[in-house]
This record gives sequence, structure tokens and C-alpha cells, in this order.
Amino acid sequence: MSDKSAKEQVVDSIKAIKNGPRAGRMYMEMCAKCGVCSTVCPVYYGKSEKRYNPAERTDLIRRIYRKYCTISGRLFGRLAGAEDFNPDDLEEWQKIFYECTGCRRCASFCPFGIDHSVITRKGRAILDQLGMTPATMQKVVDISLKTGNTDGASAAAFKAAIEFLEEEMEEEHGTPIKIPVDVKGAEYFYVPPSGDVLVNPEATMGVAKVFHVLGMADKWTMSSKCFDGANYGLFTGNDADMKADNKLYVDETKDLGAEVLLMGECGHAHRIMKMMMEKTGWWGKLDFEVTNCMQWTADHIRNNRLEFDKSKNPQPVTYHDPCNFGRSCDIVEEPRVILEASCADFREMHPNRGQNWCCGGGGGLSAMDDIHQFRMEVSGRKKLEQIRETGAKYVATACSNCKRQLTQLMEHHKEEIDVGGVHDMLSRAILINGNAAERKDYI
Amino acid sequence: MKRKGRGTRRRESARSSGLSWGKRKVELVKILVGVVLPYVAVLVFLAGMIYRLYTWKKLASPPMTLFPAPPTEARNTLNTLQEVLFFKSLFSGDRVLWCFAWAFHAVLALIVLGHFRVFTNVDAILRAVGMSDENIQAMSSTAGGAAGVLILVALALLLVRRLALPRVREITGVADYLALVLLAAIILTGDMMRFSPQHFDLALTREYFAGLATFSGVRAMEVLKNNLFLVHMCLAFVLIMAIPFSKILHLGGIFFTHQLIRKQ
Repeated sequence: MSDKSAKEQVVDSIKAIKNGPRAGRMYMEMCAKCGVCSTVCPVYYGKSEKRYNPAERTDLIRRIYRKYCTISGRLFGRLAGAEDFNPDDLEEWQKIFYECTGCRRCASFCPFGIDHSVITRKGRAILDQLGMTPATMQKVVDISLKTGNTDGASAAAFKAAIEFLEEEMEEEHGTPIKIPVDVKGAEYFYVPPSGDVLVNPEATMGVAKVFHVLGMADKWTMSSKCFDGANYGLFTGNDADMKADNKLYVDETKDLGAEVLLMGECGHAHRIMKMMMEKTGWWGKLDFEVTNCMQWTADHIRNNRLEFDKSKNPQPVTYHDPCNFGRSCDIVEEPRVILEASCADFREMHPNRGQNWCCGGGGGLSAMDDIHQFRMEVSGRKKLEQIRETGAKYVATACSNCKRQLTQLMEHHKEEIDVGGVHDMLSRAILINGNAAERKDYI
Repeated sequence: MKRKGRGTRRRESARSSGLSWGKRKVELVKILVGVVLPYVAVLVFLAGMIYRLYTWKKLASPPMTLFPAPPTEARNTLNTLQEVLFFKSLFSGDRVLWCFAWAFHAVLALIVLGHFRVFTNVDAILRAVGMSDENIQAMSSTAGGAAGVLILVALALLLVRRLALPRVREITGVADYLALVLLAAIILTGDMMRFSPQHFDLALTREYFAGLATFSGVRAMEVLKNNLFLVHMCLAFVLIMAIPFSKILHLGGIFFTHQLIRKQ
């Protein structure tokens, strides 16, 4: 805890924007207030109020930046749109900066490429510095730092879950299908979100089956220490937490001696690992590559190494592009390759890929139960409409947080639509020894 | 003889010096605006631009990866140019705004180009491509006049849009309205000069600017007697000074932000 007052800390933090990176500073100085961002923001779509207008949200910080950091702001004050920081506003800030899902749709459409998610994250970083990260979010961070995963599961619980999945797969296919754990020297190290082992495990089963069919059952492994790619330091704006969490996984990859870090169906995990850690070189040169299980599987499908019985997935299926995969990582065709191979009736929602609408639970919001109403009625509204339009009975998506948000969204709005992962569909349709799985009904 | 009051002596002495105190103030303003302001404004503008561009350039900029993104640096540059020249993303994102905004900026560019004719004698170039003096004059009046009207219409439409659409109105502050008012005043005074019978003296104006530009003392001060010209020029210099220090620099910053976010 610093002995500076809250106001001093906030102002200092905002003044620091001046020193870069370039994006933050330019977004303070470039917004022409044209209003295009509000037409493409899912939150503003859900409720068109000034509070939810992206340009207004970033203006909370911009006004203070002008006052302390721009010549026109210092000279002309309010005439130049500059205002001083009022500590009484902090309580509202705590809500407002967690009303943006960080989906970056605004950045895609802004004529200047202004990315409001950057400023949202800055606002959250300021709150975090003051110990004001919302309790529901802080809880997840604490659990994650304590147990190494956001579900709070112990290594023993993880291993038990893995054994359970192996039993399930043996029942489905009449032959043992293994999920190796803690195997040193395995070529591939698979890191899913912990939800894909403990909550929606069919995704992990799908990956395991692909390795099995390819005869690579001994070429991969998971880790009982590091089985959750989720990294909430991204959502709380805490760079130190984000890097610390990330380092655990980079070190584990090195310890296991893996050549490929195979990220699972988790958008922000992949984005941090590939687009931030690897691309900008957080830890120097790496002797492993980072790829995603969807890219890996799609490659095998394209090369005709896997066979499917599509009739196992007869219901209409649509795909929701998670913002982090679609907009931030450009992994958009691979999930479709998998779904079109596994499903009899795959249909697109519109718009899609990089222009898709956010599920409403992005930026870590789906973990926050206290804003359930907001997520169901405001931030998720456009998504609900999109899904309904497709007539789909199953929404596949490659992100644990999206799955949580969409499941709740369907329940809340009384839709009989199932939500699950991409490899889930594969798991139900893939042929092993000529037969697809004999499934029990998974809820 | 009737005794004169004390004030009379002052009045008489003032009259004898040729200028009343009121008139002296006006002359002072004219000197400030017509002689001092041009140099100050250009200096402030250049210093401000260098400061802004330098500070932007030297800040770290890690990639931000937003997709779909152009696959090569060359393609990214092309996209940025298309954005700057044609407002490409606005065309697909908000067609109505594109109409108003592009019309405004495109006409503005033409007007800036046309103003070169006011500052200096470019007629030689135009004659070289085969335009006669009458043609040049006609182009100036019709194209110039039309541009002056069009841009005013575009500006008015932008202002109406800003007031009429709640999602734009709610994010607009005093500074945004002031910018529009400043622009409107400049355009209006310019139009009034174009369409008033008095117009202005082109040769004299060119001499005045030549004097300023070559630092060879102020010549042709009679131009400053035209109040419309004075106001128009004064406000234009205010605008020029404001550019580096306001959101108007979105014109220049777009090169940075667009490149930044569209990198693969």
C-alpha cells in the first residue's frame, strides 16, 4: 500500500500514459468523437445510454489526461475538455470499467483504429493498484494464484478427473484411450482452460481421441501442475500477475522438454501465449513453438487423416467466434474445418469471424456473478439475437468464458439450445476403429 | 472669449495628432493580427507539430494484432492511404457519416489548394497548361465559390448530425462544438468575401503575403482595412495554431494509429 492518496495514485497512473506505449497516448489525443464505436459495441447495443458509450467510458480517463498532460488542457481547462479527478468517482469507475467486455469490436470499426479495450484495461489497472478490483474478479485471481487454476482444483482432483475421462472414452469406444499426465520428453504439451477438464470435458476427450487415432498417444502430455491456460492478470489489468502466471507455463513447457505448446480452446490464453508472450518475446528466445489444438486438428482433417460419422451430430450447429480467437489471433477457419467435418448441419451466424459480436461475457465478465443481470440483459443481448436467427440447437465455441456466458444466456432466456466446445463435436463424431462413440447423454 | 474646458485641449491635441484613441486601438489590433499573428501562428504550428510527431514517433509500440489484417507491410501502407484519402472504413461502417465527413474533408483539401492562388502567383503554372486568364478567373469564381458553399453545407450537416444523434451528442463536449464554430466562422467570412461586391484585391493580398514570407517588412497594409479579410485571416491562424494541440490532429495521427493496429 502506498502512502500516496488515492487521487495522487490515480493521477500519476494517468500521467504515465504520456510515456507510452504509443497506443495509450494516441488514444488519449486522437478521438474525434465521431460516434461510430457506439454503433458496433455490444454493450451499447444492449442499452443505448451515455454510460455504456465506449467513447464516454474512455473519456473518463481522457478528461483527466487532458488536464495534466496536454498544453491545451492546462491552459483552457473545461473549454478543452479537461477535468480534474474526483476520488468520489472511484466507486462508479469500479462498475464502469467492468461493463466493457474488451471485445475490441470498436477497434475494428473506428476510422482511426482506436482500441477502447486498451483504455478499459488501463482503468482496471488503476483500480487494481488501489485494491479496488471487484470482489468477484479478485476471487478468481486469488484462487488461480493459490492453486494454479481458476477452478481451484488440486493436482489430485485433476488426476482424478483425467482418470474419469479415460474411463468414459473406454466405455465409448471399447478400447483404452489415454490422457498422459506429467510425461517428460513428450513432444506436445496440451494446455486447455481448466474448464475443459472439469466442467466441459468433451473438448479434452476430443483432443485425446485425435492423438489416439494418429497413433501419437505417447507423443503428448498434460501437466497436473499447469492445467489452466486462463490468465486473469489480463482482465484485472495487472501486468505483473499476468506475466507471473504466464511464466509458470513457459517454465513447465521447458521442464517437460516439450517441442510444441499446444494451447486449448481458450481465446485469451492463446492470445497471451502467442500474440503477446511469443510475439513480443517476454522471456527471450524459446525452444518450443506455440500453436493451438484447433489449428493442429484442422491440419490433420485437411490432410484426410481423420474420419467422422456426421450423423452423430444431426442437430443444427453454429459457431460463435470468441473475440480473442477471431479478432486478436485470426484463428477463424480451423474451428470451421473441424465443425464442418463433424457436423451434419453446420451453419454460420452473421456477421462472423473477425467481425463477430461478443458473447457479452468477455474481459473476464462471465466470471462475475454479481453482474449476471447486466450480462443477460445488456451485454449479451445482441448475441442472443444472433443465435436465435441461426435456428441452431447447439452453439459451438472455443472459449470457456464464452461457454459459461452463453450457457447462462440460453438458460436465462429459456432457449433450448446447448452450448459446448469445438472438439466436443469432434469427440462425438470421430471414428476410432471404424466406429464413432457410443455416447451416454452428457448434460 | 468663451473659456474652453480642459477636455477640449485634450481633444484638440488628439485631433491634431491625426488619430483618436479609439482609432489607435483599432490600428493596434490590425498590427497584432496582420503583422505579429502570422509569424506567431506559423511558429506555434511548426513547433507544435514537431513536438507532437516526435513524441508519438519515439514511444514504444508493441504489435496489437487486430484481424482481419493486411498480410504485408506494403498492403498495410496501401490500406492506410486508402483510409486517409477515401475514409475506407467509414464508407463501410457508417455511410451517412462518410458522406458528410468525406465531402467536408475533400472540399477542404480543394480549398486549401485553391488558396495558394491567394498567397502567390501560381497563374503562370495554370497558363502553362493552356488556361487563359479568363478561364483562370472563371475557375476561381465558380469552382471556388461552389467549394465555399459546399463545405458550409457539409459542415452544417455534420453539426446537425452531432446535435440530432443521441449517441454522438452525449459524447460531445464544449471543445468539439467550439471547433465546429471556429470552422464555420472561417468558412462564412471566406464566403462573404467571395460573394460580397467588395471582394478583395488579389494583387494587393499577394504582395502582403509576399512581404510576410520574405521577412522584408510589411507591405500593402491596405488589405488590413478589409474587416472580413482581417477576421478570416485571424481565425484561420487561430485554427492553424490549434491543430497540433487538439483532436484536429486526428488528420496526422491516423498514420500512426492505423499502422499500429493493423500490423499482423
